[in-house]
Amino acid sequence: MTQNSAPAENLLEVRDLKVVYKTDEAVVFAVNGLSFSLAPGETIGLVGETGAGKTTTALSILRLLPERTARIEAGEIFFKGEDLLKKNQQEIRKVRGQGISMIFQDPMTSLNPIMTVGQQIYESLEIDNRNNGGKKTREELEARVDELLSLVGIQARRKNEYPNQFSGGMKQRVVIAIALACNPSLIIADEPTTALDVTIQAQVLALMSVLKNKTGTSLILITHDLGVVAQICDKVCVMYAGEIIESGTVEEVFEGERKHPYTQGLFGSIPDLETETERLNPIEGLMPDPTDLPAGCKFHPRCKFSMPVCQTQSPAYAREGSHQIACHLFHPAKKEESPWSLC
Amino acid sequence: MNYAKIQEAFPQTTEYKKKSQLPEMWRRLKKNKTAMLGLAIIVIILLAAIFADLIVPYSLAVEQNPSARLKGPSSEHWFGTDAYGRDIFARIIHGARFSLLTGIAAVVVGFILGGVLGAAAGYYGGIADSVIMRILDTIMCIPFLVLALAIVAALGTGLVNVLLALMLSSVPTYARIVRSAILTVVDQDFIEAARACGTPNSVIIFKHVMPNAIGPIIVQTTMSVGMMIKDAAAMSFLGMGIQPPSPEWGAMLSEGKSYMMYAAHIVVIPGLAIAVTALALNLMGDGLRDVLDPRLKD
Amino acid sequence: MSKYIIKRLLIMIPTLMLITMIVFGIMCLTPSSPGRVILGEKADQAAVDELNQRLGVNDPFLIRYFNYLKGILKGDLGNSYRSNRPVRDDILLRLPNTLILTTAAIGLALLIGIPIGVLSAVKQYSVYDMLGTTFAMFMASVPTFWLSLMAIVLFSLKLKWLPSNGLDSFRHFILPTVTLALGAAASLVRLTRTTMLETIRQDYIRTAYSKGQSPGIIIFRHALNNALLPVITSAGMQFGGIMGSAVVLEQVFAINGIGTMITEAIRMKDIPQAMGCSLVLSFLFMVIMLAVDLLYAFIDPRVKARYVKG
Repeated sequence: MTQNSAPAENLLEVRDLKVVYKTDEAVVFAVNGLSFSLAPGETIGLVGETGAGKTTTALSILRLLPERTARIEAGEIFFKGEDLLKKNQQEIRKVRGQGISMIFQDPMTSLNPIMTVGQQIYESLEIDNRNNGGKKTREELEARVDELLSLVGIQARRKNEYPNQFSGGMKQRVVIAIALACNPSLIIADEPTTALDVTIQAQVLALMSVLKNKTGTSLILITHDLGVVAQICDKVCVMYAGEIIESGTVEEVFEGERKHPYTQGLFGSIPDLETETERLNPIEGLMPDPTDLPAGCKFHPRCKFSMPVCQTQSPAYAREGSHQIACHLFHPAKKEESPWSLC
Repeated sequence: MNYAKIQEAFPQTTEYKKKSQLPEMWRRLKKNKTAMLGLAIIVIILLAAIFADLIVPYSLAVEQNPSARLKGPSSEHWFGTDAYGRDIFARIIHGARFSLLTGIAAVVVGFILGGVLGAAAGYYGGIADSVIMRILDTIMCIPFLVLALAIVAALGTGLVNVLLALMLSSVPTYARIVRSAILTVVDQDFIEAARACGTPNSVIIFKHVMPNAIGPIIVQTTMSVGMMIKDAAAMSFLGMGIQPPSPEWGAMLSEGKSYMMYAAHIVVIPGLAIAVTALALNLMGDGLRDVLDPRLKD
Repeated sequence: MSKYIIKRLLIMIPTLMLITMIVFGIMCLTPSSPGRVILGEKADQAAVDELNQRLGVNDPFLIRYFNYLKGILKGDLGNSYRSNRPVRDDILLRLPNTLILTTAAIGLALLIGIPIGVLSAVKQYSVYDMLGTTFAMFMASVPTFWLSLMAIVLFSLKLKWLPSNGLDSFRHFILPTVTLALGAAASLVRLTRTTMLETIRQDYIRTAYSKGQSPGIIIFRHALNNALLPVITSAGMQFGGIMGSAVVLEQVFAINGIGTMITEAIRMKDIPQAMGCSLVLSFLFMVIMLAVDLLYAFIDPRVKARYVKG
């Protein structure tokens, strides 16, 4: 399942990524042959349930996976044309924070409790400065800290306060400031609003949207909330059991007629304010045990439209424009069996 | 009693939990070789203590034999003899009784007393909590040996007073453990539910809260016994504890000190006995902690 | 911040009083006759009784306690039964020895224990970890006084490198300080290792990595600073154990400090001396704990926030 795009144009290109976790008891197949790409300035949403492998993918890009248990078994991750997986420790450290930065899920625990927020933002700048020959002075860096705080809507004079003096939403803004500090080309945001109140969620998202437009940064937004994707993403990838089972632009996936049965289930399970129903429509069954994945299409045990071929063969992508669906239903060869028309 | 009726309706719940956890924990403990080593050593020492009389007669441990003084280890005297000609091996074996007895008794009583106090403090909260904890904290402020010496000074030497001193010093630690276990649980909803059903407080504490505390208590207990044994030996060393001619390990060290230069084994062997016992207990305690609180593994 | 200090000092007072009460209470349980101790075995019983009456032995507990308390506030800890010198003078004479010994020991323990603990945690399951943990296990199991006896056998008697009695020169300090330190170092190693392991797994460490920070700086600036907080508190509590062990070690090394003073006093049933020493040691311990608490509050802004605001 490889992509066909010119590597030189894309900012980030992930090819056939496979990641496992090995523990004493079992092997967890977290990411199973994942590929996607991202152009400069684009925002891509990575959607899926908990356990789909979204965070693992994100951490793999920056090589932040726990050393002892996680192993990147295969794949390539091209960032600005260079394979990140082949870099050594020193080189990857140069990319972190400066080329690609990350926003983590829980702002309550992402900040060091005994350092001021100013110091934590300063640290990013300091590292960048160090990597580039140390030409900037302390005053310049401090000024930038002030600038960043204003950018995210925090008064600069609060920079000597400690994280525990900020609310959850404000903490996340600090995290955003840290992420933006060195003008990275790509920001990976792992469920940045999940741990926040709904009203604060909206604020933080709005902030991220404004900032990304202002700075032209690409964004990978990991979330399980389709509403958020609709709001700020250009493209969307739907993940299931470590694979991308559907991807395309937001219009194609949200408004298109054809959807992967899983995606259909996701949309169908969102309660609609306007329709009267008696029950919610969850997708039946549970995500498969990642230590014991089903053969063939990984969704087939829960799929209403499952066919015999689904149990043995992993589906290839069926394409329509930039819309891709990994499902046998749409595969041209099986047109006789499938109730769906070809794409 | 309403509680009994509920138990009738759901007899499976408590039983199921207990059965499934124990064999699983044993299996995990077995994997830890050092812990198993510790366990083996402790079992050996325990057996030696229990069956001491069968291994060597007590008389051998206390009978003086001036003609055989300060002899090194030999086939006749496995560990050699001390300044009075007594067989050291025999003294070590019988001394095991004192040490283990002291350690275990001190810990058990400390645990019961401390547990009750901690439970009361945590469960009832408020003034009872503050007062109890303040008093216990104050006891902790007095360096253990100083407290022990003070008690012995007041009440005299001997096994019972040593035990008393040791117990007193372990009570605050257990009280804290039990109290924190209770505090983590006491706000939770199922306690409210149990109270709403009219369950008496004591039942709540025993059936619901204690299981939470068992883990840290077990770990603390295992390690404490080792510490108590060391401390009891220290007190005997100072002449405050068990008096001669009882073959207590610490007392043996105290007696042997003057003869160190001629016959080092007098001092090496009893100390080694204390160290090995404490080490075995610590190894077991560590292993138990890994099993009961596996957060710190990968 | 100063509000916090004052608060803590105020809290200390009832605790100090409680300590005096406990120590005094224990001492009063002694069925002793100071008159006998002072006048000697051969003295006339009537004289002994009269002396006892004068010393207030037969007064009710509370009155004796308040008299004692009054004395303390004036700086008077009573007079030794045996020598009739003020207890306070003897204590002041011998306290410095004990203080130097214990302070040096805790310092050394920190210097040894923390780095080994950090190494063990950072290289978990490696050879270094095994060595560090084994060392900690061993030192925690071995009785300190036995260790010092062994050290004397080896270094003083067999190798003749170091002296084993008294505190006359710097070399005299080495054996007692090192043996004292090793015991405390053991628990510091284990605690540091545990807290470091927990700290390394925290999210903010991951954030630091994601900034591209180098592992060395992450360990020392982010992880260690956080991990040391509980270690500092524990070190303070260790001091109590060290003081206790020092008491024993002073016997072993024939050092003229508070430890030997208290053991003598107990053996001779010299109540004022024993009490005075116990009180001084306990107070000292409390002061150390207070200092540690303040240090903690100074470093950890979360604690400061809790107290400064109200």
